[in-house]
Amino acid sequence: MNKILTSLLSLGLACSAALAADAAITAVKVTDSLNAIKADSAVWSKAKFSSVTLYPQTAIEMNDKKANALCENAKAKKAQVAALYDGSTIALMVKWADGTKDVQKGPTSTEYSDGFAVQFAGVTAKPQPLPYIGMGSVGRPVVVHLQKATEKVYEPNGNKDVSTQINRQQTGVFEKELADYDAKVVALANTDYERVFVGEGFRSLTEIKDGSVKSQSAMVHGASGWTGTLSRSLKDDYVNLSGTVPVSIAVWDGSKMGRNGLKNLSAWIAINLDGQKSNAALVADLTTDSKGDATKGKAAAESNGCNGCHQMTSADPKSFMAPSLKNVGGYSTASYLRESIVKPSAAIVPGYNRNAHSNTPWYNLEKGKRISTMTDYSHLSKADVEDIVAYLKTLKAEVE
Amino acid sequence: MSKRQLAMVMDLNKCIGCQTCTVACKTQWTNRNGREYMYWNNVETYPGTGYPKNWMELGGGFDAAGDLQPGVIPNLEADYGVPWDYNYESLMTDSADHNRFQPHISPTWGPNWDEDQGAGAFPQDNYFFYLPRICNHCTNPGCLSACPRDAIFKREQDGVVLVDLDRCQGYRYCIAGCPYKKIYFNPKISKSEKCILCFPRIEQGLPPACAQQCVGRIRFVGFLDDEESQVYKLVHQYKVAIGLRPDYGTQPNVYYVPPTESPAKFDAEGKIIEGSTRLPIEELEKLFGKEVHGAIKTLKAEMKKRKETGVSELMDILIAYQHADMFRLDNNYYQEVAKEQKRTPLAPVDTRYIAGKFTKAGGHH
Repeated sequence: MNKILTSLLSLGLACSAALAADAAITAVKVTDSLNAIKADSAVWSKAKFSSVTLYPQTAIEMNDKKANALCENAKAKKAQVAALYDGSTIALMVKWADGTKDVQKGPTSTEYSDGFAVQFAGVTAKPQPLPYIGMGSVGRPVVVHLQKATEKVYEPNGNKDVSTQINRQQTGVFEKELADYDAKVVALANTDYERVFVGEGFRSLTEIKDGSVKSQSAMVHGASGWTGTLSRSLKDDYVNLSGTVPVSIAVWDGSKMGRNGLKNLSAWIAINLDGQKSNAALVADLTTDSKGDATKGKAAAESNGCNGCHQMTSADPKSFMAPSLKNVGGYSTASYLRESIVKPSAAIVPGYNRNAHSNTPWYNLEKGKRISTMTDYSHLSKADVEDIVAYLKTLKAEVE
Repeated sequence: MSKRQLAMVMDLNKCIGCQTCTVACKTQWTNRNGREYMYWNNVETYPGTGYPKNWMELGGGFDAAGDLQPGVIPNLEADYGVPWDYNYESLMTDSADHNRFQPHISPTWGPNWDEDQGAGAFPQDNYFFYLPRICNHCTNPGCLSACPRDAIFKREQDGVVLVDLDRCQGYRYCIAGCPYKKIYFNPKISKSEKCILCFPRIEQGLPPACAQQCVGRIRFVGFLDDEESQVYKLVHQYKVAIGLRPDYGTQPNVYYVPPTESPAKFDAEGKIIEGSTRLPIEELEKLFGKEVHGAIKTLKAEMKKRKETGVSELMDILIAYQHADMFRLDNNYYQEVAKEQKRTPLAPVDTRYIAGKFTKAGGHH
């Protein structure tokens, strides 16, 4: 009975949460060391889970025909997220439902693994406004921790190192080298896919390989889906986390050929480090919706011709000039939308499907700076902008 | 577009389908470490399914407006074929079991599964020719356009298209984007790999292994802006060498001298139909576009001229007397490039190929 009641309650919570932005998460302070934390560590019993909604990324569309068909009209997903921190480390747990365990293994060219990522805002002189949700923006770096589902298997070249490869047929010539190589491979026989990237916008994501980021992540599949864990230092060359920590979560579904942009992601969500002074303005920004009138906003969006370049809903034809906005309300904050309308060059997002194609540039270069091809709408009244923001916040897929 | 473009011309009249190029490439680059199934160079029978299976129908490339087209990533087992091996040891034992010699898997598909089948009815009008294929090192590469990580780049000095293995994350959009399906996924390292036009050889003045080893001497290699190169003469002067499927819009830099010679057809009684030719011009037009007509006209005229007068520079080039003339790889040029880049001249490999084009030591900052 209790179980039914709880699930009914959580269902009710989920419904109301779908209407508003996700609430702030509290990172519980613990005295245990979190460096070696795992999914089954006892310390997680102290954590408080919050619901976070992950929306299908549809701003840009990639060129894989089959994957696009599988992800057509994808729905939003719910994830349960909790955080812990000690003096030096923050740990996150993300739980999400995924009926199939997809792990890339063996010789295959068309299979993809499940995965999850946590994005942090990078260190900058001006921490707000936050970086663009999709891999940051120029001058507003992000750090992305990516974990893909893997299984430990023996395979040569576990270090992804092409320079030591030797032709196995030429044993006469390479006998010693082959033996050395095999010994090295045995030592390296671990294909864990755990990577940390830094990025300042689409295409700029670069792996941090110098070991300067101390982190550890893992994924465990159970009856109800995946549990992903990540722990990382609160402070290093790339991030400086205190008070209120903005993060965003993404998950990939291998059974839908998910990888890269084919994912579900959350908007920036606030994690308050328990016992530290939270950033009230940032929390308010990430948890309160626009006060505008969405109905008026829809009319204003139409009269200003937004759909001339943007796809607004699934019913609209795909437009190749600008990013699709059909889920923009799901993964964008109101302040980002506000900024994008009045200062389109602040964070430039690529066009819908043309990747690097020169025929449909999404920016022009002026004195070395990227200037968005979008018209500047700073002439609109504050009330109009607020109404449009309120309307844009309604553009999102329903929850699965 | 790169500063210079290295190109290859293949004379299809002379390809005998011996696969020596395929083997030269395979032993040099793709017989190990997850690349076993890949053929950076393959020779397929045309008409036929090709490699990978039905690659011409898998999308990618650009439409007339110049927009990248979505594509399909071939399946390793069904479309490329899993390489199989045999239990050779079993042949050394004296056994009555004649079925003991077996492949280690039951093969369902592989490159050249339909070798020499071609089209038409035997013996009246059956026909085929061989189509050797490598990466086209396109001026407007579909793979490069499709990559969301800027992991594919075209070298300034010679237009060779390479994968920055450091940036590549194995998303495989490049495979969907390449209309020739000449970029492959390495499942062992979870990254894409492709023909590198043997740049470590080229930088030392050697032609790619496939060209050097070709017994039919069908392959010419040189810079497109080098008027002394036979590649320049075939492509720009005589205009008898044309890119494969120019309609894909990638501006390929491997050029083909189209096949001009094919036997006449037979009638129902088995008699030669005078003036007929087995190779339908529509097929050549599909592969090489409308320009193929002019190329064939020039080739026929020069062939006639040579027969009548004994003189034709074009025929002399296509006879391919000397490797030294067929391959003009200005070794000194690469030495200058190396000096400009403050690298040791004749570095054996491009440092970016291993270390990554955009990766700086010590991370992002």
